[in-house]
Formats: sequence, structure tokens, C-alpha cells
Amino acid sequence: MPIFQPASEAEVTRAILHGFTRDLERYAESEVVVVGGGPSGLMAARDLAKAGVEVVVIERNNYIGGGFWIGGYLMNTITLRAPAQKVLDEIGCPYEEYSKNLFVTPGPHACSKLIAATMDAGARIQNMTSFEDVVIREENRVGGVVINWTPVQALPHEITCVDPIALESDLVIDATGHDALVIQSLEKRGLAKRIGEGGMWIERSEDAVVEHTGLAYPGVIVAGMAVCSTYGLPRMGPTFGAMLLSGRRAAEEALRQLGKTVPAARGAEPRAKPLARKR
Amino acid sequence: MADVQVVPTGVYLYGDPSAAPPDLRTVAAHIKRVCGIPARVRKEFLVHHKVRDLDALARELAAARVSDLARPLPETEPPLPLALFERRQLGSPERRVSGVLYDGVRVQQILRTVLPPKERSLAFVHIVFTSRLLGMFDDADRRYHARAIVVGYPSLISTSGLVEAPAKPREFYVAKRALRIETADARYESLKESFAGRFLDFEDPRLTRVAKGYALQALFYHATGAPFCEDRDCVLFNAHWQEELLHAQVESGLLCARHRKVAEALRGGRRTRTR
Repeated sequence: MPIFQPASEAEVTRAILHGFTRDLERYAESEVVVVGGGPSGLMAARDLAKAGVEVVVIERNNYIGGGFWIGGYLMNTITLRAPAQKVLDEIGCPYEEYSKNLFVTPGPHACSKLIAATMDAGARIQNMTSFEDVVIREENRVGGVVINWTPVQALPHEITCVDPIALESDLVIDATGHDALVIQSLEKRGLAKRIGEGGMWIERSEDAVVEHTGLAYPGVIVAGMAVCSTYGLPRMGPTFGAMLLSGRRAAEEALRQLGKTVPAARGAEPRAKPLARKR
Repeated sequence: MADVQVVPTGVYLYGDPSAAPPDLRTVAAHIKRVCGIPARVRKEFLVHHKVRDLDALARELAAARVSDLARPLPETEPPLPLALFERRQLGSPERRVSGVLYDGVRVQQILRTVLPPKERSLAFVHIVFTSRLLGMFDDADRRYHARAIVVGYPSLISTSGLVEAPAKPREFYVAKRALRIETADARYESLKESFAGRFLDFEDPRLTRVAKGYALQALFYHATGAPFCEDRDCVLFNAHWQEELLHAQVESGLLCARHRKVAEALRGGRRTRTR
């Protein structure tokens, strides 16, 4: 007697198509698109989804999580400094205190918990999808992203000619890591400028990343390592607390921009009028 | 001895809402006691002067941000992300800006334009305490150096600079290098603990005593044109090392004999001429 119930090839194909097209139809127009599925992007998406925001994460790789799977030198123990371990408490990931205020946990455990927590909260994830460009609205405000399959980008343009599609959104969060791809796309048009990663006052890099997280262009919030190249901040060592708290700060800023309530328990700030924001 | 050229009638100290110490009321009382000039504590500078066009101010502050330590500040329009960041900071002055160096002279120019005309007079000394880390470009070695104080009109005292600008003990940096401590490393905190007391840190109760000396440097610059003293025991000593700073400001805490005479002249409300 077979273990599995029967299902035809065609039925399996239809099931895949049904799920995929239903999701794509939903997030063709969403409140927030997060570009980049690393720790900061996932954290931002999770907090936004928990707050009831329609959010989709675009990830160019097949796997989600970016560098969160491994720590420094390909060793899969990741480190976080206090108070970032509280995020691990929230997502139910165990950890140990290595030394005062320095916590360690296996990367695969933390990363898989964060991915699960993000999806459990209601965020959608579109992997194998590359960011190509921004959607530009009146007065050059960003109103979404242009995307394509990652494999298409790997092929010579002359033989593929696959047009991209666009997702509309109120806000885009650039969580693309060192490349800051969304800001880079604005830079190509002369609309924004990255300062590039650099050393300024290196002993405070994690704090600086979190503090600089926020609206960097009308319609665009930067988070995670993208903050470093946008603002000329130093890169940091293999410690992930700033990525998680930067993602959280990005979500808070997005809620303010959307005119929604920022959870008070996380130290909500008064809503500052964004500079030059016009819709 | 530097002559007293200006006898101010009042000193205004503007608070930094991100820093608990220094206690500016204590600093104000100290100025009154030493120089006999009434000193008043005001709110944060931009809040007190009710700056309305925060967007424009944010752009100016963004342009004062140093992005290359080895080049003087360029005269270019700042990138929008920096202006937006400054705008957020202006909305939350209680938040300390970490990891960013500003050109102190440019910030001073920006703040000077904010002063109302009736207070833009040599009769008043304005001393602004700010969390922003300030630097000055040195033509001698062609790079920026962080500063605790930028004297002028107004004078700026950086509460970050009090901690970050004077160098920590040489052995601290040797130990840091030996441990190969780079950025954001938890061992940095334990290394600091092993040098406890030998340099200032944020929330350090000694910051108030140190701020008294820096405030006097600003006041003496205003009155005589010379903020510093070469005597290592004088609170006007321009310390390069934290240990020199703590010696002058905490262990000594006094003016030298020459500068006590200047203070005496200020208390008497008289100008002096020694040449």
C-alpha cells in the first residue's frame, strides 16, 4: 500500500502556480518592499508584519538569511552584544553568555528561527528574485521596485531579453548589505549619493549603524550594512546585534512614515517631519 | 599675561540633553564664583533659540560632517541621506550622535547665525554644550583632529569630545593593539575597565569638574583672546592626554597664579594692559 495519496503531475503544477500567483498578486502592491533577506531585512519585515503591515521581502539568492548563517571566518557561531540578545528571546532562539554582555548562538539556529518568525508574522518572501531598479513617482519619490528572476541576470542580455516586472509600494527598505543597491540605483540617476564605507570613529560602529538607520531618500529607508556605505560608516566585526536592531529601527521608521503607531515598548520616538517628503 | 580686552556681562550655558553629567548649574555657579560674571543655564541651543527652518539647518549640519579625515571640508551640497539623518537628529536632541565627526568651525558658523541680533554682542559669552563630536583640520599634518572645545563665538564644548578627543594612556592603545581589538568588540569594554579611572567615560561624574575648566577656557578666550595656559596645573591647560586633563581639571582644579589675576580683573570688571 503506497504511503502517499495520489496527485497527478498536472495537479502538482497547478498547486505551485496557484500558491505563487496568489502571493504575487497580493504583493504586486504592498505597503513595504524589503530588498534583501539578511538579518536586518528579515527583522524589519517581521516587525512590520507583526504590526499588520503588508510586507514582502525580495531576496536574490535561493536561501534566505544572508550572512546570518555563519559568523566570522566561515565559523557558524554568531555573536551578539547586549541588548540584541533580547531579539533571540523574542524569536525563541537559545543562546549562551560567552562573557559579560557578549552572547553566542549557532548561526543556523538563529537564522532559521528568524526566517520562521518573519514568515509566522505574516511577511511574504520572494527568493531567487533580484532587484533591478526603483519605481519612480512624482517629484522623484520612490514608489516600488523593479525585479527580475536572478538567473535572468546571470545570462547575457543579448540572449535573454526578459523584461522585468514591478512591485508598487509605499516604502522600500534597502537591506541589500554592503552594496546598498537601492541607493545605488538612485545614485545612477543623480538622485542620491553614497559616501561609501570608511573609517571615521571606529569604536562606535554598531551604535552608529543603528542610529543612522532611517529614511535616506523619499520613499527609501536604509537598514543593516547598507547604512554603512550610504553614510560612510565603518564596517564592523563579525557581530550581528546592529543588524537586528537596525532592522527594528527601520521598521519603526517605516511605521512612522506610514502614519501607524510605533510600539511604545521599544522606545518610540516622536514622529519627525521627514525632510522634502512629498507625495 | 594676556590682557583682559572684553569684560562680558553675562555667560549663557546651553545644555546637551543627551548627557546627564556635566551638571551645568554647578558650572554656572563656578563661573560666577571665579570670575564674578553671572552665568545662566539655558536649554539646548537650537531649542532655546526656537529655530524654525529645521530642514535648512539639517542640510547645513550635513554639510559640516567630515567624511574624509585627510581632506578639509569640501564646499559641496551634502547628500540627501545625510540631510535626512540630521533632520531626524534635530527632532531628537536627546540622542547622542555616535561615530560621526563634524567640522567644529563650520558648526560654530552655523550656530552663530542662529543667535538673535540682540544677543550677538561681545557683552555675552555663549557656551554651547553639544553631543556632536567636533574636529578641526590641522594644516601641519593635513588631517582632522577631534577636539573637546572649539573656542569662538559661540564657543562649543563637545560632551563626546571630552571623552573621545584627549588621548587615553599610551599603554591602553598598546594593549588594544596587542589584543587586536577592532570595531564593536566586547573586549573593548573589559579593556577599558582595566584602565578604570585613568580616562573619562560617558556618565563619568568627573565630567562636571572637567566642564568647569573648559567653560573657563571659553570665557578666558572671550575676554583675553587666549584660551589656554602652558602650566600643567592650571585648568586652562590644553591637555592632549586624558591623564593631563584629569590632572589639570580634577587633581588641581585651580587657575595658575597668572590666570588668577585675570580672573581677579574680571571680577573687578576692569580691562588690563600689560604691554
